[in-house]
Order: sequence, then structure tokens, then C-alpha cells
Amino acid sequence: MDASSWDGTLSLNEFSLAARSFAEKWKISNSASPPWLWVNAPKLPFVASQQVDGFLSMENICLLRPSEENDAAASRLEEEGPGFSKKEDAIDDATLVHSNHHEVHYYDFHIVYSASYRVPVLYFRGYDSEGLPLQLNEIEKDLPACSAKVLLESKWTFITQEEHPYLNRPWYKLHPCGTSEWMKLLFLDEAALAENRVAIELYLVSWFSVVGQVIGLRVPIEMVNGRIN
Amino acid sequence: MASAAESPSSVRKVIVQLRATADAPILKQNKFKIPGTDKFAKVIDFLRRQLHRETVFVYINSAFSPNPDELVIDLFNNFGVDGKLLVNYACSMAWG
Repeated sequence: MDASSWDGTLSLNEFSLAARSFAEKWKISNSASPPWLWVNAPKLPFVASQQVDGFLSMENICLLRPSEENDAAASRLEEEGPGFSKKEDAIDDATLVHSNHHEVHYYDFHIVYSASYRVPVLYFRGYDSEGLPLQLNEIEKDLPACSAKVLLESKWTFITQEEHPYLNRPWYKLHPCGTSEWMKLLFLDEAALAENRVAIELYLVSWFSVVGQVIGLRVPIEMVNGRIN
Repeated sequence: MASAAESPSSVRKVIVQLRATADAPILKQNKFKIPGTDKFAKVIDFLRRQLHRETVFVYINSAFSPNPDELVIDLFNNFGVDGKLLVNYACSMAWG
């Protein structure tokens, strides 16, 4: 693709290619992690089936959240409301940081193509060990300290709850309106401009190196440095 | 990832060069040395302080935005060019 006129977006077809390439690389360099799986969109009657329509899915992920700064951020966010955790009256909250840090939370992540923004969008939901969905104020505590900060500052543009485009249920999503701008920054380095080519199949690897940080998932260096193809 | 363990006696320093992109102002001090054992978070914090911004969009070549927990030496060994780790930064809000 011509680099000079590229606007940071991709087509559904390119998304589907980049998604498969990303899933493949993830599997090779991240073998301890669950895989990203491609899920075909449910076929609609009377509509010609499009093989490229679908999304990536990684489910039942237990986010590892510790680290001191995270704890600090978590306790700062603690005031935001008790959710449905049982408060024990015997505990003096003023002196003890009352938290459910050790409760296990699970997350499902989907990478879905947005036809209106023409970029990938991360959808996710969290639930506890009994399968009860987590509210945003509980999810915040599982996020790395830096995202918790951003979340506080731009509440409405960062994570919002919306209907999952394929599952028609409420999921959280990272707002995509800045995505094409920062993807352009990331992708159009000197090498790309010199070759006048955008390596669209690597789009999702780069994209996830940014988005993964918000939720505390890491892109291994090997996925990026060209040692696996 | 064994790189950091190769010379345990002396901590290897990495030269980080900062490059402003998009709307970001150019910093007076755009080059510094940092112990390779430091996390990339140190570089991000430095930029935040210098730019007086809570959020800075930081990335290196190969279209990669490193996790703050990544060690500087690992990034240098994989992406360093001409003895330096080039770090690009922009102020635009990633999630605005």
C-alpha cells in the first residue's frame, strides 16, 4: 500500500488478513497464553456469505494485576463505590485498605472491525469466579495504574459500554476515534516512507502493542522484531 | 531475553535518543544515558515530566509501542540502531 497517502485505516478484508497474521504470531511467541481465535460472523439468511467477516477472540483470561503502583492506584479508586462486594461492618475502612484484590476475575477480549472508523476496536467484558459480570468501577481496579489514570481523566471517551456488534449484548469497548491517527504515527516511520509501503499484515501487532497496555497485556518483542514471520 | 544477564558485573548503559513527532515540542535534552536494567517506564516518566503531560504517546521504530515493564536493554538489543535506542513521542491523546 502507498505509504504517503495512507490514512491509518484498513478495509474489512485487510483487517481479516492482519487478524490472522496477528493470531499466528501470537501463538508462536506467546505459547503460554491462550490463543486468539478467529470467529466467523454468524451468517445472515439471504445475504451472500462473506468469509472475511468476523472477529478475533481470546476468552477466560485471568489478568495478572499486581505491582506496587497498581495497588496504590487500586486503593485510590477504592472509594468509587462498593459495587456488590459485601461490606463487613467490623472492619474499619479508615485504617485498613479494604479490597478484594485476591478475588479472581476473568476477562473475554474481542477484536472487532469497526466499519465506521475503519479500524480494529477492542471489546471486552469481565466476570468473577461465579460468572457475575463486573462493572466498570471493578474493572478499573484490574487495569494497570497508567490506564486507571487515563480513565479518570477522560471518562467518556476512553472506555464505554456498548452493544457488541455480533453478539448484541452490552460489552465494554475502547473508544476508537483516535486510532487511525496514532496508527499513522506508528506506521509511517522512515523505513515505511522510504519503501513507500505499509505492511498492513502487521497492523494488528502494532495496534495491540498500544491497546494491550491499557488492559495490561503485553506484545512480546519477538512478535515485532522480525524473527518470526 | 538473556541479554541483561550477560554482564552482571557492570550495568550496561543505553543511550536513548528522543524524537518529537506530530505536535510534540522538541526537548532541549533529547539524549540521555540510562541503565539497561531500568524499565521503559523510566523513559516514559521522563517524557511526561519534561512535557508536563499526563499522557504521552511513546513508540519506537518497527511500529511498536513498548510496554512500560519492558527492560531498556532488551529494547536496545532488538531495536537499537547506531548504538542508540530511538524513542519517538507525540502529545496527541491516544484515546481522545
